Amino acid sequence: MLIITMGTLELKQILTGHKGRVWNVCWHPKGTSIASCGEDKTIRIWAPEGSKWAMKTILTEGHTRTVREVAWSPCGSHIASASFDATTAIWDKSSSEFECNATLEGHENEVKSVSWSKSGQLLATCSRDKSVWVWEVTDGEYECAAVINAHTQDVKKVRWHPQEDILASASYDDTVKIFKEDLADSDWSCIATLSSHTSTVWSLSFNSTGDRLATCSDDQTVKIWQEYKPGNNAGVPTPNNESVWKCVCTLSGYHTRTIYDIDWCKITGLIATACGDDIIRIFREEDDSDPNQPSFNMVCAADDAHTQDVNSVQWNPAVPGQLASASDDGQVKIWFYSE
Amino acid sequence: MASRFSGALQITDLDDFITPSQECIKPIQIQKSKSKTGAKIKIQEDGAYVELNERGASQKLEKVEITLADCLACSGCITSAESVLVSQQSQEELLRVFEEKKTKEQNGQSEDCKYIVVSLSVQPVLSLAERYDLEPEEAALKLAGYFQQLGADIVLEMTIADDFALIQSAKEFVERYKSAEDGVKNQLPMLASSCPGWVCYAEKTHGNFILPYISVTKSPQQIMGSLVKYHLAESKGLSPEQVYHVTLMPCYDKKLEASREDFYNDLRQTRDVDCVITSIEVEQMLSSQGTSLGELEIGVIEKPFGSYTEQSDKYLLGHHGSGSGGYADFIFHYAAQHLFQEPNAKLEFRNLRNPDFQEAIFEKDGKILLRFAIANGFRNIQNLVQKLKRGKSVYHYVEVMACPSGCLNGGAQIRPQDGSQSRELAQRLEMKYHKLPKSKSEENSAVTNLYKVWLGGEHTDKSIAYLQTQYHEIEKMNTALAIKW
Repeated sequence: MLIITMGTLELKQILTGHKGRVWNVCWHPKGTSIASCGEDKTIRIWAPEGSKWAMKTILTEGHTRTVREVAWSPCGSHIASASFDATTAIWDKSSSEFECNATLEGHENEVKSVSWSKSGQLLATCSRDKSVWVWEVTDGEYECAAVINAHTQDVKKVRWHPQEDILASASYDDTVKIFKEDLADSDWSCIATLSSHTSTVWSLSFNSTGDRLATCSDDQTVKIWQEYKPGNNAGVPTPNNESVWKCVCTLSGYHTRTIYDIDWCKITGLIATACGDDIIRIFREEDDSDPNQPSFNMVCAADDAHTQDVNSVQWNPAVPGQLASASDDGQVKIWFYSE
Repeated sequence: MASRFSGALQITDLDDFITPSQECIKPIQIQKSKSKTGAKIKIQEDGAYVELNERGASQKLEKVEITLADCLACSGCITSAESVLVSQQSQEELLRVFEEKKTKEQNGQSEDCKYIVVSLSVQPVLSLAERYDLEPEEAALKLAGYFQQLGADIVLEMTIADDFALIQSAKEFVERYKSAEDGVKNQLPMLASSCPGWVCYAEKTHGNFILPYISVTKSPQQIMGSLVKYHLAESKGLSPEQVYHVTLMPCYDKKLEASREDFYNDLRQTRDVDCVITSIEVEQMLSSQGTSLGELEIGVIEKPFGSYTEQSDKYLLGHHGSGSGGYADFIFHYAAQHLFQEPNAKLEFRNLRNPDFQEAIFEKDGKILLRFAIANGFRNIQNLVQKLKRGKSVYHYVEVMACPSGCLNGGAQIRPQDGSQSRELAQRLEMKYHKLPKSKSEENSAVTNLYKVWLGGEHTDKSIAYLQTQYHEIEKMNTALAIKW
C-alpha cells in the first residue's frame, strides 16, 4: 500500500489593505518582499517589519482600471503591472521610491498577464484581444518585438521558460502555446500547441529546469506536460525538428471548481494550486515516479484558505515552503508548508 | 485556418469565431411598424422568427443584417463571418453576378446587363504566376482570358492607378514638407495610405492622433475605382451604376476598403469598387472548376486610358522599390528633386531592428534632409505609432504596410505549396516583381493627359474627389457587457 506523507500548510499572516478583490501576488526574486494588485487599481508592496509583514509602499495612479497582474523583474529593480486599462506599466526603483517610467500601449483591451524573461531583456504580455506580445528592453526603452496572433480567444497567462527565451501562454481557447524567436526574421512564432484541457486554461508554470509544464484549467484538472526534444531517448517523434510537449499526467478529482492559478516551486518541486472552491492544494511527485508517466499525490489541502475564490498562489523563490496567496476576499495571505 | 486579414486587423478584434449575432454591439435601426403590446414571437421549426399579434395573425420578422460598412463604422469587432462577407464581397457573389449577366443576355435583356470591368493588381498576378508556374505576363493574360470567359466585358491592369497614386502621394509629400517648414503642425511624417489594414487600425485605435499624418491620397484600388466609374463608364456611354467593377487584390483588407462609405455614391447607389476578389479565391474558383490557370486560353488586357510610354508593349509593369508599390522609393526621389534639386539622389535602405523595418536618408552638405522608412507588419507599426506618440519619431515619410514583407505577402496571397515559409515565398515573388519592366510614373503620358482632360488640372474639385479621401476617428464604445475576467 502506498503511504503518502501529508504535510501541513500553516497560515503565517493575513495582509489586509486592498479594497475589493486581490488578483495576484508576486515575490521579489530574492524572496524578501511581495507585490500584490487588485481591483482597487493599486499595487502594494509588503515586507517584513520585525517579525511581522507590513505594507511598505502603495503605488497608485499608474492605472485607470483593475490591475490584473504584477511581475517583479529578475534583477528586482522593476515591477511590471498588467491592467484592464489595456496598458502595462513599468515601475522603476532606481532611487528609493518606485516610479512609473514607462507605459506600454498597444493591446486593444484588457491586459491579463505579464512576465519577464530570465535575462530581464524580454517582457511578454497577453490580452483579451487574443494576442501575445513580446517586448524588447534596451536602455530602458521598450520596443515591440512581436505581436503573435496564435490563440483564437482571450489569453489568460504568459510565462517564460526558467532558462531559455521560450514563452508559454494559456488561453480561453483551451490550449497552451509555446513560442520561440525565428532567427531568420527575428519574428516570434508558435512552435507547439498543447491541447488536452477541455475548458479555459487559466495558468501555467514551468518546473525548475523548464522541461516540464504544469497547467490548470476551468475543467478542474491539472495537467503535467513533458518536453521531448529532437532525438529524445523515449523515441517520441519530433516533426519540424522542434520539441514536442506531451501530457504525461492529469490530476483530476481533486478540485471542485475552476483552478485559477498554479505554481511549481523551483526549489522543492512542490506544485501549489489556487482554486475557486477557496482551497489551496499542494501536490508532490512520487519519489520513484516514471518520468514518462509520473505520479503526483496531493499532500495538502487547506480548506477555506480564503473565504472566496483563490486567484493566485506563488512560492517564495528563496525560502522553501513559504507561499503567498491572493483572493477575491480582499486578502493576501502568507503560508508555510512543512511535512 | 489562418486568417486572410492582416495582423493589424486581427488585433482590432477581427473575429473569425463569433458571428455578429452573438457579440455584436452595434445598435441597429429596425423598421418597426407601430406595434401594440401583447405581440408574441414564435420560433418556427426552420428557425424563422414569427410575430403573432393580438388578433392571432402572424408575420415573419425581418432578420437584422449587418454589412461590412456597419462593421467599419463600429468600434467593436470586424467580423469575417462568412454570412457578412458572402453578401457582398465573395467569389459566390462574383459568380452570381456573372451568371445573372449570362441569363439576361440569353433572354435578350442585354440592355439591363451590367458592364463588368475587372482590374488586375500586380501582386496577385505574381502570386498566381508562382502558383501555376507561369511567366507573370502570361499569367496576367490568362487571368484576363478567365474573367472574359466568365463574362467580363473588359479586363484592365492597374499601372495607371499605381502611377496616379505615386505621383499624387509625392506631390502631397512635397506640399506637406513645405508646410511643415512654414510651421504648420501635424504635417510630417507623412504615413502611407494605400494599406487598408493599417488605415482601419489607425482609425479604430489611434483616431485623431494618427489620422492627420496619413496621406489623403487614395489607394490604387480606389483611384482605379474612380477611373472606371467616372471616366471609363462615361467614355462607354454608361452611368456609374451600370458598371460592375471587380478588382483582384492581394489581401482581404481590400474588401473592407471597397466597402467604406467614402467610396459609395449615395445618389447613384454604387460603389467605386463593387467586388474585391483575392488570389486565394481565384485559386479556389479555378480548382472548383477542375482547371488550372495554365490550361486556360489567354485573353485581352485593354488600355482604355491611353498608352503609357513607347517602350511598354508589356501589360504587367512594376515600380522601383518595395513590392508594395514602391511608395518610399518614388516619393524619396521626387522629393529630392523637387525640394532639393537633386535629380540623382541615391537611395539605400538599411535594415533596423528586423528586415521589416528599414530606413534611408538623403544628405546634402552633411545635413540630413530626408529620413524615410518602410515599416511592414504589425510589430513595426506599433513601434512607429508609439514613437510618434512620444514625439520621438524622426521620419519625414514612412511606407506603412500591415503585412510582414508588404503586399507581396498579403493575407490573401496563395500560401507556399512546398511547405516553405511565407517569407521565403514573398522573397521569390519579390524577385519576380523586380524583373518586371518598370513603369516610369512621371513619364506616363496617360496620367498627364488624364490630369488635363479628366480632372481639369491638379487642385481642382474633381481631382480632390477622384484622387483623395479622408479618414474618420472611430470612438471607442465601452460596454460593461464586453468585459471578461
